[in-house]
Amino acid sequence: MTLPVLEVDVRLPLDHFDLEVKIATRRPVTGIFGSSGAGKTSLLEIVAGLRRGAAGRVTFGGEVWLDAASKCFRPPEHRDIGYVPQDGLLFPHLDVRENLLAGSGRAQRAGRQPEEDLAQVAELLELEPLLGRSVSTLSGGERQRVALGRALCSGARLLLLDEPLAALDLPLRRKLLPFLARVRHELTVPMLLVSHDPIEVQALCDEVIVLRRGAVIARGSPRKVLTDPEVFAVAGEESFENIFPGRFVRRSDGTSIVRLGSSIELVSLGGKGTEGEEVMVGVPATDVVIASERPRGLSARNVLPAKVLEVRTVDGCALVTAELADDVAPWTVEVAESTPEELGLVPGGNVFLVVKATSCRIYGRSSEPRP
Amino acid sequence: MSVLPVLLLTLQVAAVATSLVLVPSTILGYALARWEFRGKRLLSALAGLPLVLPPTAVGFLLLRLLATRGPLGRDTLGFDLGIVLTWKGAVLGAGVMSIPLIVRTARVTFEGVDPRLETMARTLGFGPVATFFRVTLPMAGRGLLAAVILGFTRSLGEFGATVTLAGNIPGRTQTLASAIFSAQQVGDNGRADFLMAIALSVGLTAIVAAELLARPLSGGGR
Repeated sequence: MTLPVLEVDVRLPLDHFDLEVKIATRRPVTGIFGSSGAGKTSLLEIVAGLRRGAAGRVTFGGEVWLDAASKCFRPPEHRDIGYVPQDGLLFPHLDVRENLLAGSGRAQRAGRQPEEDLAQVAELLELEPLLGRSVSTLSGGERQRVALGRALCSGARLLLLDEPLAALDLPLRRKLLPFLARVRHELTVPMLLVSHDPIEVQALCDEVIVLRRGAVIARGSPRKVLTDPEVFAVAGEESFENIFPGRFVRRSDGTSIVRLGSSIELVSLGGKGTEGEEVMVGVPATDVVIASERPRGLSARNVLPAKVLEVRTVDGCALVTAELADDVAPWTVEVAESTPEELGLVPGGNVFLVVKATSCRIYGRSSEPRP
Repeated sequence: MSVLPVLLLTLQVAAVATSLVLVPSTILGYALARWEFRGKRLLSALAGLPLVLPPTAVGFLLLRLLATRGPLGRDTLGFDLGIVLTWKGAVLGAGVMSIPLIVRTARVTFEGVDPRLETMARTLGFGPVATFFRVTLPMAGRGLLAAVILGFTRSLGEFGATVTLAGNIPGRTQTLASAIFSAQQVGDNGRADFLMAIALSVGLTAIVAAELLARPLSGGGR
């Protein structure tokens, strides 16, 4: 099915620079990535209609939401959006169920069945046990799931997520990722996701727009954008981490086996999980060793044949992209600048990727990721 | 003269006065808490004036306005509003004197409601009016109830403005406060004691109720 196009062409003076963005997207999940203070939230608020004063146009599915030239401004309550901020903003005077149904009036007017939506969303986000609770008793992660559920039950045609996991600590953030991934896969509501977390962006977005000081500096698939020389620096202190959706296979002898695609099995030291559970697997680009021949006598548990797709030099190091299988996204490996030449790495060449079990991180609902 | 009619008239005056000023004062409290507009400080000061003026001055000002030749008097309007020296005068005096308390309490209450929750409601499809009635008002409910009780209590005890505007006519405009004053003036300490005990118990009940209502509001913001 085709999704409505969101077209944004706006300018807004901010404190230290002007926000100037021109994008059009019809992807299921579009990420807005950048360090804090880059103008990401302002952009989202303009799309939501929560920030006035922007010049330019915003249209969604052909509907004009903002056209400064003709003084047209559609107020937020008529944009059919679902907004999820960092702190959830649940209504304290309502319980969880009432919060989830807060936007049901609009959903009903749009011809939806709020009770059915509620049941579906509660199952998807595992909210059933919380329904009768007062919101003051919820944990941070539960609050965010309820906030997401409330947006989903409101008949929203576009979800606007403003760093929905940023207020949570790292392990909890990783635990909630699969919930967002489920929403992404099971519902057909397009999302605009503001994030400064490369892992979130990779795990969820089809396309990423990178903002720096109010301007779009890069745009494309998460993998391509996050390894872009310009953006690599923005991504900051952490090195690039490859993120793959996978399934938990089993746990034995203190290790966990996770399957990527149909054929690749990875051994990880960390992580609990249940058989068949959808998880995310993270492998830092710096933790992968490239071998031009199959190595022997290694302690590393994962030795995976791969084909080199691309070699790029970025910021004093080389980024090698290699493909393991047709149905698994390519891996990005960070090596010394001279390594590709020494090993004779060229696109199309066969290599082996070597990863220690301790370097494979499992992010799942029931697992505690290794620090 | 029996005490019961005095008590009933006092309760009636306070109830009518509070009901009359409640809605405008709440709206004013909301406007002061949420909106920026020209003359906001002036409006805020005017609404607080009865708190700092001697009540007799407020009563006299109202009397001036309503006097036969005043801006709201019979000669100007062409008919008599029938307020001066009637129970309606007592209502007016008590109402005006309770405005600052209600406006201030309402304003603080509305300031305690996170405006981002109102924003959130807008994104869920609520227009500004629905947002006010379904999010702001329910969240401010306890504080507004406290405002009502404070205003009502203030009206119960109103003396200066009431006595100036409505007089102290037994059976017509004499309220608890003015009855205590009269009893004390004529040396009827027994009656004054009894009236004082009634005033004490009504006032104490109201203030305790207001405290109880206001507490969860300040404590459990979210």
